[in-house]
Amino acid sequence: MTISSPVLRNSMRLILPLMLLYALYAMLKGHNEPGGGFIGGMIMATAICTYRMSHGFAAQLRLMPVHPRVLIFLGLGLALGTSTVPLLLGEPFLRSAVGVFHLPFSGHAFHYASAMAFDLGVMLVVVGVGVGMITQLSEELE
Amino acid sequence: MTIILSICVAVVFAVSLYLMTGRELKSIAMGVFLLGHAANLSIIAMSRTPVRHEPQLLKGAPILTEGFDPANPMSSIVDPLPQALILTAIVIGFAVMAFLLSLLVLTSRKTGTLSIEELGVVATQDD
Amino acid sequence: MTASTTIWLLLCVLAPTLLGLATLFLPQKAITLRTLLALAGPVLSIVILAQHLAGHGVAAAADPMATPVISWIPLLNMNLSFLVDGLGAFFGLLVAGIGVLIVLYARGYFGPDEASLYRFYPTLGFFTTAMMGIVLSDYLLVTVLFWELTSISSFLLIGWDRYDKHAVKLAMQAFFTTGLGGMFLMGGVLMFGFATDIGLGGGGLWRWSEVLALGPGRISPSDPFIIASFALMLFGAATKSAQWPFHYWLPGAMAAPTPVSAYLHSATMVKAGVFLVARMFPVFAVLDLWSNILVPLGAFTMVLGAVVALNQHDLKRIFAYTTVSQLGLLMCVYGLGGMAAGGHPNIEWGITQIANHAFYKAPLFIIAGALGHYISRDITQLNGAFRKQPWMVLTMLLGGYALAAGPGTVSFPAKEFFLHAIHESAESIGPWWMLLMAMAAVTAMCNVAIFVRLLTTLMGWPGGMKPGASHGHDDHAAHGHGEHEHEHGPWAQMIWIPALALVSLQYVGGLAPGLWSQWFAPLETNIHHFAEGVPSALHAFTHPGVPLYVSLIAIICGVSIGLSPLMRGAIVDVHDRIYPAMYWLAVTGGGRAFRLVQTGRFRNYMVFVLLAFLAAYVASMVLDPTMLDWPQVESPFEFFPGVLLGAIICTTAILMPIVQSRVVRVIILGSCGFSVVGMYLLYQAPDLALTQLMFEIISVILFVLVLRMLPDKGETDRASGRWWRFSLGTLTGVAIGWLTLVSAQSGAEPRLGEFFAQHSYSGTELTDGRGGGGNNIVNVTLVDFRGFDTLGEITVLSIAALGVFSLFPRRKPLPTELEFDDQMARGVAL
Repeated sequence: MTISSPVLRNSMRLILPLMLLYALYAMLKGHNEPGGGFIGGMIMATAICTYRMSHGFAAQLRLMPVHPRVLIFLGLGLALGTSTVPLLLGEPFLRSAVGVFHLPFSGHAFHYASAMAFDLGVMLVVVGVGVGMITQLSEELE
Repeated sequence: MTIILSICVAVVFAVSLYLMTGRELKSIAMGVFLLGHAANLSIIAMSRTPVRHEPQLLKGAPILTEGFDPANPMSSIVDPLPQALILTAIVIGFAVMAFLLSLLVLTSRKTGTLSIEELGVVATQDD
Repeated sequence: MTASTTIWLLLCVLAPTLLGLATLFLPQKAITLRTLLALAGPVLSIVILAQHLAGHGVAAAADPMATPVISWIPLLNMNLSFLVDGLGAFFGLLVAGIGVLIVLYARGYFGPDEASLYRFYPTLGFFTTAMMGIVLSDYLLVTVLFWELTSISSFLLIGWDRYDKHAVKLAMQAFFTTGLGGMFLMGGVLMFGFATDIGLGGGGLWRWSEVLALGPGRISPSDPFIIASFALMLFGAATKSAQWPFHYWLPGAMAAPTPVSAYLHSATMVKAGVFLVARMFPVFAVLDLWSNILVPLGAFTMVLGAVVALNQHDLKRIFAYTTVSQLGLLMCVYGLGGMAAGGHPNIEWGITQIANHAFYKAPLFIIAGALGHYISRDITQLNGAFRKQPWMVLTMLLGGYALAAGPGTVSFPAKEFFLHAIHESAESIGPWWMLLMAMAAVTAMCNVAIFVRLLTTLMGWPGGMKPGASHGHDDHAAHGHGEHEHEHGPWAQMIWIPALALVSLQYVGGLAPGLWSQWFAPLETNIHHFAEGVPSALHAFTHPGVPLYVSLIAIICGVSIGLSPLMRGAIVDVHDRIYPAMYWLAVTGGGRAFRLVQTGRFRNYMVFVLLAFLAAYVASMVLDPTMLDWPQVESPFEFFPGVLLGAIICTTAILMPIVQSRVVRVIILGSCGFSVVGMYLLYQAPDLALTQLMFEIISVILFVLVLRMLPDKGETDRASGRWWRFSLGTLTGVAIGWLTLVSAQSGAEPRLGEFFAQHSYSGTELTDGRGGGGNNIVNVTLVDFRGFDTLGEITVLSIAALGVFSLFPRRKPLPTELEFDDQMARGVAL
């Protein structure tokens, strides 16, 4: 389904990069500020779906050239992988590691938590599910 | 605030149940949708937000800042637990909703009707 | 004793299964090798057990550390340890010994039928192991475990003929009945373990050796838990040992091939209940319940079984009912043991009683199967069978003579012990002993009559049974291989030689009682009055008393009934209807009840759920009236944005059922959701607000998509039912709204959220200094504290998405379908 509204088309062109950028930002900063995998995923899925509404399926394919189920697969695999790695190190399932990582040139301290990889998995799944469902249903409609 | 939210919960719940006891699958789907809102609102009402006199937007959000006092954590921020519970409920709600609506589409295609009574007739004919 | 003792005994228990499974690796044709390998299992068990007895002797009951313990599941009080006291050693040798004979007999019975033997030996080994486990395990729960294993393996053996629906049904009947008893037994054992836990270290009594050693000190006869646990265990024993009214499964189990009947239903599995009673006897006999249940139950079963046995034609059913009768007698023997007579328990040579029955009943079954194989199993068809199969008939008559407890068999003194015990019980139960004595006399009479009938019929003498109108039973139908050729050569004789070997022990005991006493005295724990050994038949006649007179009366009456034309029909036992009736009740009745509740109408379910909720709500209000107190709330109008958002939410919600146009409905749904976003912001939840915002956008897209695909018929909402829907919805809504208000005001401290807030970034001593390393508590909660939950959630999300993907078929046809269409088109064109 495509909505042929010039207002939506043109505004979407402006909004889309912002939304995608903000989705990534929300995901990456989610541990310390409002955001996280679920939110980032929802924002990204909404952005892609709205873009599809305004520009059509072909445009969506250019933006995201894989079937959404690949994202679901990758996301679930990443989340499961991050949760099982501690098992190999003799720690309980899902235990996260926290630490500080000094960037090599600037010397900035970079706080990281291994839970971020888990969050990335969550985000991929949410994007895959959201986009996948809407895609499937609009394909049905067309 | 709490009382306003309680009234909202009561109204939304009543409406969603009214829709869900209806005869049409579309109404039932919308009832389920509203039910999710009502449940989430009910949970957030229990987080005992410090909106007392002049709530400043997001002043008490559950994010650790300079003024956080670990000995008395609930003095400066609201309870984070209900929020974490609702966050996942919203996302799950979306997936469930999409699945339910897909079933609806399929049902209407296979049987040509969305009325519960007529569907009952179709089911007995299939037997 | 070292741990190796336990390992050897474990091997002794497991050997039949291990070697039985090993036979599966032999080629199917190698039946002689197969038989020998299967034989090695129980033989190995006997050798190990004998070696153990030679090295360590019979374990004394007072020794709580019978064998060393190998830890298995210590948390559940299940470990490996074995108690080889007199009772355990006797039963172990009995099970393995008869197991050897049955392996040989099965070879003769199945003949050259390779497929049957291939399947039979592993199952038989499995059963033997289960049985050895029951009788040798020291841990009560391990005994229960093996008890269940016998139920399972006996199910496999009774339902041997998998294509015979009737046999499978009877196997289910046996399995359900004994399995039900197993449940009760387990409940009893658990309750006993907890009831005997006195709390001062050591815990409860979970080992038989502890029960025997410490039980008398810890068990008070008036403790309701002890009484209840005893009743439960007794229920288990009664079902397994076919006591009234559960005896129906035993005659039903005769659908099994005869090797199974001879093994399970005469000597071993049905004796498991008696074994359990004998195990409990030294400790539990102090309970009033012991004699009050076991004596009447056993005596009634005894008479019932004997009378029904007399009115049967099928040899296997006759012997099945005499088994029921004998099991009742054994229960009665131990029940009488709970009474005191002359300062000691009123029981003599209990193990001899058990051995006596096994040594004649198994041979009778074996020969019944053999005769069924060659002639018929119907006694009316067997007139003059002696001329055709002299050895088999002779063996059967030797067993039958022991059934009748004739002088010269060990059965005779065994019955004297029983009658003696009844006579002595006058001390405890007064004149009731005469009723018991009469019941025993009737039982003995029936047994004598059965023997007389067997004798006259099989020998072809006058007075025997003549062929009637009823059709015969034979063993070809029973194991489903039809009229196959019989085995020839030495293996063919195996169909009766094991029986002769076993029944000869009866005569050893009867004719050389000194030898018997020498064997059994070390195993027995209950020898009081007859301390000098099992008396010979002569002893009874030289010391006449009430028991002897009763015996003589029973023999005279029995002979005359056996010769008379009375009671020669075949009756149907009314108890056979119990299980089918229960089955009908569960399946048909349950189905009806199910259809009554499960109407298949969504609306009915909704109403059920809501009414149940309201009822629970009202009940809790009644129980705790403080729920109705008006909570202290601030004025609702203090904060204007909140009032505004609440008003929007309520208005849009109320509009939903009123508006008919679907586009307007979607818009209303959306505006309701956006107001909820605002509400989240007011409640200081930025994460929620963001998520909800995106959710609303994507839901609107979703609804628009779906509603365009649905037919737009508008609302076909009829006016009827509106009012009750409205009132039910309003009532529930108000109830939940009130619940929200009350629980939001309740001040439970500390709140769980505090923990999350404190540990979100850095840890405390509660978490060994580990924190989540993040400032956003909500996100840390999701990915760290409740990470498992989140993992489950994204799995659910994925499954929902896969569901949507798979609900709709692929729109583009597959290439093969195209080709198919193409060909069809061409075919039509041609």
